[in-house]
Amino acid sequence: MKKNLASLALVSAMALSLVACGGNSGSSSGGAAPASGGGNDASGDVTNLTIWQPSDKETIENWWIEKLDAWNSEHPEIQVHREAIDRSDSYAYDNKVATAVTSNDLPDILFVDGPQVSYYAANGIIVPLDSYFSADDLSDFVDSTVAECTYDGKLYAISATESSVALYYNKGYMEECGVDIAKLESYTADAPMTWSEFEALAKQCTTDKYVGAHIVMDHGEGLPYALEPMYISNGKDYLSEDGSKAQGYVNSSEAVETTAFLASLIANGYANVDPITDEFLNGACATEIQGSWDVSVLEAADFEWGVTYYPVSDKTKKPVSPCGDWAAAVTMNCGNVDAAGEFLQWLMSKENVASYAAAIAKPASRSSAYDDPLMADYKEYPLTVFVNQLENNAVPRPRTPSYATFSTDYAEAMTNIFSEAASNGTVDEAFIQTQLDNVAASFEEDYNTYYGQ
Amino acid sequence: MKSKKASAFLTKFLFYFGNIVIGIIFVSPLVWMISASFKPESRIFANMNSLSTFFPVEPSLNNYFEVFRRIDMANVFKNTLLYIGLILILDLLINSICGYALAKFRFRGRGAILSLVVALMVMPMEAILLPLYIEMSQLGWVNTLQALVVPFIAKCFSIYMFQNFFHDIPNDLLEAASIDGCSPVGTFFKVVMPISKTVYATVFILDFVAHWNDFMWPFLVMTGADKRTIQLAVQSFFSTSPVHYSAIMAALVVSALPMIVMFIFMQKYYVEGIASSGIKG
Amino acid sequence: MSNTTVLSARKRNERVAAYIFTIPAVVLLIAFLVVPVIYTVYYSVFQYQVMRPKDITFIGLNNYARLFGDADFYQALKNTIYFTVIVVPTQCVLALALALLVSKRFRGVSVFRTMYFSPQLTSMVVISVLWTVLYNSNPNTGLINSMLAGIGMKPINFLSNPKTAMNAIIFMSAWQGAGYQMMIFLAGLQGIPGEQYEAGSIDGANRVQQFLYITLPNLRGTIKYVIMITMIQAMKLFTQPYVMTQGGPQNATKTVVYYIYTQGFQKGNFGYACSVAAVFFVIVVAMSLIMQKLTADD
Repeated sequence: MKKNLASLALVSAMALSLVACGGNSGSSSGGAAPASGGGNDASGDVTNLTIWQPSDKETIENWWIEKLDAWNSEHPEIQVHREAIDRSDSYAYDNKVATAVTSNDLPDILFVDGPQVSYYAANGIIVPLDSYFSADDLSDFVDSTVAECTYDGKLYAISATESSVALYYNKGYMEECGVDIAKLESYTADAPMTWSEFEALAKQCTTDKYVGAHIVMDHGEGLPYALEPMYISNGKDYLSEDGSKAQGYVNSSEAVETTAFLASLIANGYANVDPITDEFLNGACATEIQGSWDVSVLEAADFEWGVTYYPVSDKTKKPVSPCGDWAAAVTMNCGNVDAAGEFLQWLMSKENVASYAAAIAKPASRSSAYDDPLMADYKEYPLTVFVNQLENNAVPRPRTPSYATFSTDYAEAMTNIFSEAASNGTVDEAFIQTQLDNVAASFEEDYNTYYGQ
Repeated sequence: MKSKKASAFLTKFLFYFGNIVIGIIFVSPLVWMISASFKPESRIFANMNSLSTFFPVEPSLNNYFEVFRRIDMANVFKNTLLYIGLILILDLLINSICGYALAKFRFRGRGAILSLVVALMVMPMEAILLPLYIEMSQLGWVNTLQALVVPFIAKCFSIYMFQNFFHDIPNDLLEAASIDGCSPVGTFFKVVMPISKTVYATVFILDFVAHWNDFMWPFLVMTGADKRTIQLAVQSFFSTSPVHYSAIMAALVVSALPMIVMFIFMQKYYVEGIASSGIKG
Repeated sequence: MSNTTVLSARKRNERVAAYIFTIPAVVLLIAFLVVPVIYTVYYSVFQYQVMRPKDITFIGLNNYARLFGDADFYQALKNTIYFTVIVVPTQCVLALALALLVSKRFRGVSVFRTMYFSPQLTSMVVISVLWTVLYNSNPNTGLINSMLAGIGMKPINFLSNPKTAMNAIIFMSAWQGAGYQMMIFLAGLQGIPGEQYEAGSIDGANRVQQFLYITLPNLRGTIKYVIMITMIQAMKLFTQPYVMTQGGPQNATKTVVYYIYTQGFQKGNFGYACSVAAVFFVIVVAMSLIMQKLTADD
C-alpha cells in the first residue's frame, strides 16, 4: 500500500514538474534552443559538424563511414558526423527540415534537393559558399549543376552527382512487335526521337500484356522533374527565367499542347495512369521515361533492354534533358562556416566526387571525375547516353523560392489531368487549361505573398 | 422429416460457404503480401490472373536476407520496445486511475474533466505536429527519449475505456472494501486492479499497436541511426534505392510479426478485453 | 463517531483520492494536447511561412477570411463528412453481420473469427501500401483488376478516377476496421439472455423478427459505442489519402487533416494551416460533445 502511494506521489510530482516546465518555456517563446546537431558547442578548439542527408543505398552508406573516418583522423579540429535520414516519400525530408527551421534545430551541413536550393537560399536557411569555391574550381563542374546551385548570383550549394532521364526500351519485346531496332539505336543526342515517333512506338507496342510507355514516375517531385524537358522543347518552360512568373508559362498554349500530348498517351491506353514502380522491370511496359539510376536496377532484368535520348517536340526538334541532384549546403545554424566550407572543399575534390558518384551509381558532377577508373562504366553505352545529355542539353528545374508550392501544385494538377484522361478516354484541353491556370495562380500568389516587392 | 433434415443440411452448407467466402476476402490481401515477400522482384506481378499469385512458386528467403542486411534489427527493436515500454507502463497507470476517479468518485470538476477527455479524443495528431514540435524544442527535448514518451502518456481514449469498464464494477464491492478499512486509493489498487486484467490487456494491446506504427512523430523529432525506430526503418524501403516491392513486402511482414506473435499469446485477453470495453454504451 | 461524520470523512477521502488520481492525466493532457492547440490558435492570426521564422507578421483574421473563401477547404470538409457518413454505417453493419455469422459455437468458429480480425494485426500504413498495389488499374499488375478481367469486366481505375477513389478508400477502411468492432458486437450478443429468444420463438417470432425485436434493442448501448469510436476515427482520416492518393485525383480524397498537413508542411503556409486546424477543432469538438450527450443518456 505504502509503496503504491509512494510511486503514485512520484508520478504526480513528475507530472507537476512537467507542467511547470512547460509553462515556463511556453511563455518565453522564441528562446533559442541548442541545435540538435550538437555542432556548435565547441569544446576547446574542436568544431563538431553534423550533416543531414537522406539515407541511401548500402554502398554509399559505407562510403561515408570510410571517408569520414579518414577525415576525422586527419582533422582532429573539425570532427564531422553524418546522420542518414529515413524518408517515406519525396516530400518527407523537406518536412523534417521545415520543422527543424521553426526552432533552430538544423544541422550544420544539409543536403538539399537541387530545385529546393532557391527556396532555402531566398529564406536565408542556407548561406553562400562563394568564398570556398572559386570560378576556377567551378569550371570543372557541369554547367547545369552550377546553375542549379546558384541563386541570385551566389553559390549556395554544391553537388557531387547529377541525374538524367532518358527513354528505356525492352529490346526483345520490341523485336516481337516488329520495331526497327536499328533505327532506335541510331538516334543521337542532337537528333533524338520525336514525340510523334515516340507515340507511334508506344502505340505499336501496346498489347494485352504490355502498355507502350511509362511516363508517370510518381505523384510527387518525379512529375515536374521528369516532364519539364517536354515543355521546354515545345517552346515554353514552367516559369519565367527569373522564377517570378507562371502566368503565360505553365498555362501557355504551348504548355497546354505539351500536357495534352502526355495526357493522350494515357487516354489512348499507351501508358498507365498509376503504374507500379518497377513496371518496366516486371515486363509490363515496353518503354519508360526513367532516370539514370534505373540502369543499376535493371541489372536484375530477365530481358534485353536499351536506352535512347529524351524525345523532342516535332515543332522545334530542340533536345532538352532533365538534371539535378542532391547538393550539400551550409545552414544558418552552423557555428563555424569556415570549417564547413573547408570540409565541403575536401568532399568535392576530384577523387571524392568520382568515388562518391561510383558508390551511389549516379553520374558525377565534375567532368574530370569521368577519367577516374571507378567511372569507367560512364564511357560506355548505356551510361554514355546520360553523360551526353548532361554535357549538352541538361536544363535545371526552375530556380524560384516558391518551388515547393509549384512542385506540389503541378504534381497535383498533372495527377488530375492524367486521371481525367484515363477515366474518359479522351483529352479535354479546356480541363487542362483550367488545371494549369490554377497552378499558375497559386504559384504567383505564394511568390507575391512572400517574395514579391 | 427428410426434407427438414435436408434443409438443415442446406442451411449448414450455406452458412459454411458464406463464412469461407467472406473469410477469403478478409485474408487474401494479407496472404498475397506474405506470398510476395518470398518472391523475386520480377515474379511478383507475373501470373497475376492465376491462383499462383497467392503462392510463391520457388519460395526464397532472399528478400528477408536483404531486410536484415539493411536494418540493424536488434537495435531497431530495442529502441522501439524501450520507448513503447515506457509509454505503456505510465499510460496504464495514469489513465486507469484517472478513468477510475471519473467512474467512481464524485468531486468538483469531474464533469469538466470528462468533457475535456471527450473533446480531446477527436484531436488529430497530424494537425498539431508542428506546434507540439515547437513545444518540444522550447523544452529542449528534441532528439531525446522524453520527446517520444512524455507527450503520449495521457490518452483520452484510454481514459475513456477505463472509465467505461470501471463504471460497471458493482458499488457493493467497493463499499465492502471501504468497510474493511480500505481507503479509496487502497481499494483501487487492492480490489479493483486485480479484477480488471482484461481492460488493462486491451488498452495495452491497442496502444502497443498504435505506437508500434508511429512514424511521423519519431521521424520529425528524432535524428540518428542509433535512435532509429521500427517504422523509420521500414519506411526507408519506400524511398531508399533500390526500391523493390519484394523487399518492401518482406519488411512489412517483419514489422507485423511482433503484433501477430502478441496476438497469438494474448488472444484470450484481447478478445475479452475488446468485448468488455464496449458492453456499456 | 456518528454515521454522518464517518460518511463525510469518507467523502473527503474520496475527494482527495479523486484529485490524486486525475491530476497526472489532466496535467499531461493540458501540457501536450491543450498547449499545442493554443499554439495553433495563436499562430492562426499570423502570416507565417514555415521557412521564415524570423518574419512572422500579425495579420488579424486574414487567414480566416481566406479560409472561408477557399474552395479546397470546403471540398476537404465535404470529403471528410462524406467519408464519415458512408464508412460509419458500412463498417458497423458489416461488423454486426460478421458478429452474427460467428456468434454461435460451431466447428471452426475461432478460425473464422481470427480471419475476420486479421487485418487489425497490421498498421494502416501497411494496409494502404498493400491495397494501392491491389487496386492498380492495370490488369497485368493489379490483383483486383486481373480478377475483374478474368470474369470479362473492363478494368476500373479505382484510385485514379475521382468517382471511385474515395469509395475505394472507404471499402478498404471498412475491411480493415470491421474485425475490431465485430469483437465488440460479439460480446454484446453474448450478453443477451437466451430466455428472451426462447420466449420469442414460443410466441412464433421468426429469425428476422427475433433480430429486430430482441437482438437490436439489446445491442443499443453497444451500437452507440461502436458508432462513436468509428466516427472519431473517421473524422481524423489522413493515412489512407496520404499513402494512396495524395488527396487526389481532382481533390476527391483530400480530407481536412490531409489539407492541414500539406498546407503547413509541403507548401509552408503554417499560419494558414493553423487557421484551418483551429476551425476544424471547433467542428470536431462540438461534434464529439454532442455525441457524448447523446450517448450518455442511458
